[in-house]
Order: sequence, then structure tokens, then C-alpha cells
Amino acid sequence: MKKFAFALASLSLSSAALAAPESGEKAGVLPTMLQGLVPMIVSLVVFGLVFAVLAVKVWPVIVKALNERESKIRSEIESAEMARQQAKAALDQYERALAEARAEAQRELEKAKSLQAAQLAELKAKNDVAIAMERDKAMREIDASKKLAIQEIYAQGAALSTAVAGRILQRELNPADYQRLVDEAVAGLGASKN
Amino acid sequence: MLDLLMLAADNPVDHVVNHAPEWGKTAGGLWWWSAHVGTLILAGLLTVITMLFAASKIRTGPESQGAARYTTRNPFAHMIEVILLYLRETTARPLLHGRTDTFMPFLWTVFFFILFNNLLGLVPIMDTFHLVDKIIGQDVLTGLAGSTATQNLFVTAALSIIAAIVINIAGVRELGVGGYLKHLTAGTPVYLWPLMIPIEVMGTLIKPVALALRLFANMTAGHILVAVLFSFAVKGVGMLAGDGGLLGAPISVVSIIAAVAIYFLEIFVAFLQAFVFMFLTTVFISQLAHHDEHEHHDEHGHEHAHA
Repeated sequence: MKKFAFALASLSLSSAALAAPESGEKAGVLPTMLQGLVPMIVSLVVFGLVFAVLAVKVWPVIVKALNERESKIRSEIESAEMARQQAKAALDQYERALAEARAEAQRELEKAKSLQAAQLAELKAKNDVAIAMERDKAMREIDASKKLAIQEIYAQGAALSTAVAGRILQRELNPADYQRLVDEAVAGLGASKN
Repeated sequence: MLDLLMLAADNPVDHVVNHAPEWGKTAGGLWWWSAHVGTLILAGLLTVITMLFAASKIRTGPESQGAARYTTRNPFAHMIEVILLYLRETTARPLLHGRTDTFMPFLWTVFFFILFNNLLGLVPIMDTFHLVDKIIGQDVLTGLAGSTATQNLFVTAALSIIAAIVINIAGVRELGVGGYLKHLTAGTPVYLWPLMIPIEVMGTLIKPVALALRLFANMTAGHILVAVLFSFAVKGVGMLAGDGGLLGAPISVVSIIAAVAIYFLEIFVAFLQAFVFMFLTTVFISQLAHHDEHEHHDEHGHEHAHA
């Protein structure tokens, strides 16, 4: 808006002043030597002075600032790049360590599993052997007890038969006697067992 | 007002060319002061003041400001910085390479000095002075300053002479005296030297002449065009006021619109011509210094082509 106002102001000034400056003397589009010599010399002098002032007071300051800014930006970029590379290296190292830890954990897990399975198998085998031994032992004891009992039954039966036969041989037995003999023999068997 | 309008019917070139006040001329007819002299001094002062201001804002600040010390602290100075960087990194460095920092102070000065002269030419200083003289009824301000100094061929010639001196000194420093003289032979056999040396010498002279003529012609043409369009507009108003009838209205409106458009174009041209002068100076410096190298590359190119 300000630029537009400035343009309008310039335009109005130009329009208002369109009266050609006929006062004084005017040069042509190509001035004569008398008209152009002083502007030429002034150009050389003014340009020389401007260059001298700028070369001493302005350009060194600006060049120094631009170079410092450039080196600052370059160093910041290099630092950022270095930091990025360091971060990337740290991340890679972390990821490698993590992968190694995972692999190690997996190996340990597998090892524990295999160890557990081996221990279980060993324990089971031991248990099986122990159970088998216990069973065999029990079976042997049962067999021994059974045999012993049968032998005792046989012995008691033989004794009873012997006693019964002796009594038969000593007298004529009626049914009542016979019953009493059996009872005595049984009682005698029980007493002898106790 | 009508007087002014009628006066405007004169040659529009009168609004563009240099003027000298009565007190600015010697008895022998020498113009010791003219509008262009005033404009040159004003442009020089503006260039120095503006660049001092820009430098104070671009300069690296104290360490207490931290990272902010590296930033430019003013939008206008920032714009100047962008222009400076563009001229150095995009325009000069691809041509001058390692010698860029040596020549940049000169090239920056050339650019901004011409730019301020071009822009001052768009400010109607001389016409304003003339108007004031008309109002006060005296003739003291007209010719004090104003108009575009860079449309004075003597001014552009002076700038071109400076450029030519820098171009050739740079060539001698880069190539040595022997190398510089050898450059004038363009690497041709001895029997062609009588032909080539005059051509190369003419080329060395024509370059600054081309610089001067280009700047002078471009600045003059644009300003004359603006003046002509404005004169059409005023003539149209004169027709409305006189016996020309309503035909004056469209003439005035169209002329003013066109003049404003050209005026804005002239602002662009002011930057463009300053850039062109600076850029061509850079090109000429680089050409002269690397002449042998270019020939060498060309020879290799030809060898490759023949192979």
C-alpha cells in the first residue's frame, strides 16, 4: 500500500511537473564535451570516493560477517552431521547389543529347556527304576508271604489230618464225636497259630 | 495549470536530458554544475549511507547474543545481504573462482552506485525543482539535481573507463605482462599477428564502449518512453480543455495507465541494468584472465573432436 502511494505520489509529481524545464540550458541526448566533461570527472571522483569509503568501512565488515556466518553454518552442519553419525553408530551398536542379548537369551532359554528336559528324563528314569525295584521287592515279599502262608496251611493241614486220623484210629466215632474232634483240631490249630 | 499543460506540449525529451542552471555555467560555456552532477553526488551519498546502515545491521553481533549474533537485524539490510550474496555466489564466483573475494568490493560498489543512480532517475527531482521555481518565480533550483545521471553518455563512459582499467589490470596481474601481450595474439601463428593484434586491441577497447552504450541507451530509452506517455496524457487533458473534444479523455487514461506500467518496468530495468553492467564487467575480467585456459580447453576439445 505504501509502495502504491509512493508510486501515485511520484506519478502526480511527474504529471504536475511535466512542464519541461525550459529555464537554464538543456543538453541534448548526447551532450557536448563542455556539457559532459564535468559530470564525467564527477563520476570518476564520486565513484572513487564511494569505493574508498565502502572498501574501508563497509565491505570488510560485511565480508567478515558473511564469512563468519558461512563458517558458523558450515560448522553447525558438520556438527549436526557428526552428531547424526554418532547417534546412528550408537543406535547400530544398541541394536547389535540388543540382537546379541536376544540371541543369548534365546540360547539360554533353549539350553535351560534342554537341560530341564534331560533332568526330567533322568529323574523319570530314576523314578521308573525305583518304582520297578519297589514293585519287584513288594512282589517278592508277597510271594514269600504267600509261600510261607501256604506252607503253614499245608503244615497245619497235615497236622490236623494227622491228629484226626490218630483219633479215628483210637476209637469208633459217632457224628457228635467227629464234630468235637474237628472243633478241637481247629481250636488247636488256632492256638498253635497264636 | 493550463500554462503547465501547454508547456508540457514541448519536446518530452526535455524532461529527460541534463540541465544546467544559469549559475552552473562558465563564460566559456562549460557546465561546471548540472542536474547530473547533483544526482551523482546524491547517489554517492545515498550509496554510502545505505551501505553503512546495512553493514551495521549485517555485522556479527556480540557473543552475549548467542546464536542470534549471526542474524541480520533489519529487513532492509537483509534484502541488501541477499543481493550481495546473490551477486557474489551466483554471479561472480562461477566466473572468478578463487579471485572472487578480491574483486567483490569493486563489483558490489559498481552495482550499488549504478543502481542508486538509476533509481534516483525515477524520482522526479528536477521536475519538482522546476515546479518550485515556477511557483516562486525564480530560477535557482532547476538544474541543481535530478534526471538520471546514468543516461548521460559521459557518466557511463566514466564508469566504463573504471571498469576497463580494472579489467585490464586484473588481466595483467593474472597473466603477467608477457601473458597479457600474448593474449593479444589470440594464440595465432606469427604471420597472423598483424591481423589479430589490432582486432584484439579493438576488442579490448570495444568492451567498455559496449558497457557505456548499453547502460546509456537502456536508461535513456525507458525514460523517454515514460516522458512521451506522460506528455500524451497531458496533451489529452489539453484537448479536453481546448477544442479537441472528448477524444482527449481516452488518450489521457490510456497514456497514464501505460506510463505507470512503464514506470514500474523502469524500476525493474534500474536493477537489471546495474546487474548487467556488473555482470559483464565480471565476465570481461574472467575472460581476459582465463583466455589461454579457454584456448587450451578448446584445443583439447578439437583434439577430442578429431579423434
